[in-house]
Amino acid sequence: MQPEDVQRALGPKIGPRLVAVEAFPGTAGRVRFQREAALDVFHAVHDDLGFLHLSMVGGIDWVDRREVFYVVWSDDTKQYLFLSTDVPANDAHVESASPVWPSANWHERETWELVDIVFDHHPDLRHLLMPDGYVFHPLLRSFKLHEPEELEVKTRHV
Amino acid sequence: MTAPQARVASAPSAEEFQLRGELPMTQQPAVPFIEIETLRTREFLPAAKEALSAWIAEEGQAKVLRPVFNWAGRNSLFPLHWGLACCAIEFAAGFGARWDAERFGVVPRSSPRQCDLMIVNGTVTWKVAHKLITLYEQMPEPKWVIAMGNCATGGGPFRTAYSVVPGVDKLVPVDVYIAGCPPRPEAMLDGILRLEQLIRERKE
Repeated sequence: MQPEDVQRALGPKIGPRLVAVEAFPGTAGRVRFQREAALDVFHAVHDDLGFLHLSMVGGIDWVDRREVFYVVWSDDTKQYLFLSTDVPANDAHVESASPVWPSANWHERETWELVDIVFDHHPDLRHLLMPDGYVFHPLLRSFKLHEPEELEVKTRHV
Repeated sequence: MTAPQARVASAPSAEEFQLRGELPMTQQPAVPFIEIETLRTREFLPAAKEALSAWIAEEGQAKVLRPVFNWAGRNSLFPLHWGLACCAIEFAAGFGARWDAERFGVVPRSSPRQCDLMIVNGTVTWKVAHKLITLYEQMPEPKWVIAMGNCATGGGPFRTAYSVVPGVDKLVPVDVYIAGCPPRPEAMLDGILRLEQLIRERKE
């Protein structure tokens, strides 16, 4: 599958909310879309293109904006496909992919607690790697390494 | 040719005993003497109880029984059978055929209810911290903790990380620290033997 095939399949459904479909070496392409179209893109990629397996979800902090990316896999064509969308840093939330790929559950919990991207309509948005009540989002670029004592106090008493 | 003479040491006099800070046999505190025949009778147990009671009444319970409990405790240390990180590999090797910590009576048990020693072998994160405290509180008294490796001692290379407890002594009281990254099984055995020395000297 080539990026043109992805463009042809997604274009009529997503319309102008589809930003671009770029070539990406070794994959079927990278789909960039606006975050309002997230659930439509997920359904189209899952149902029409046959990418049934969600391999990973991650987030990147670009300081002025944050990027959420999804890596999906198709067993029919043996190809990966990248999906990515940008969210503003002061309003970082996006629709959850859990209704389409249930395996997104824990990946989105991890993305939320490390990069502080809220996933709307997530069934169970709790901490995954950090203890409950942990107040930091440690993979943000604004996170400073704390002295151990300070981190201990803030971690214990929240 | 004369037959070789058996060398018979003369019994030390009372003055020699006192020079060495010991009491001669005749002046030692009287422990009630039990005839060997009474060991075979039903009167042995009451007699032994009476003798022990007299001894305890004379010396005090702590002085008589504490060495017995210390001896029993230090020769049957049961560590909790768990692993946190790469030190657990050395921990496991220490109980294998080559190092064989079981010759010191150290047998890992899978339930904290049967343990009196917790060997924290690895990096402790804040996520696992309250589970570690729960396991420690489930262990019956008396109990000891060995911090094995640099991570458990002070956080190690992850000391300033966002998720690592900087030393397990912030969570539970630690008796023996073992340095190393990871320490070899000999170092773990040395730590266990030093803990046994601590238990031997325990007064309370």
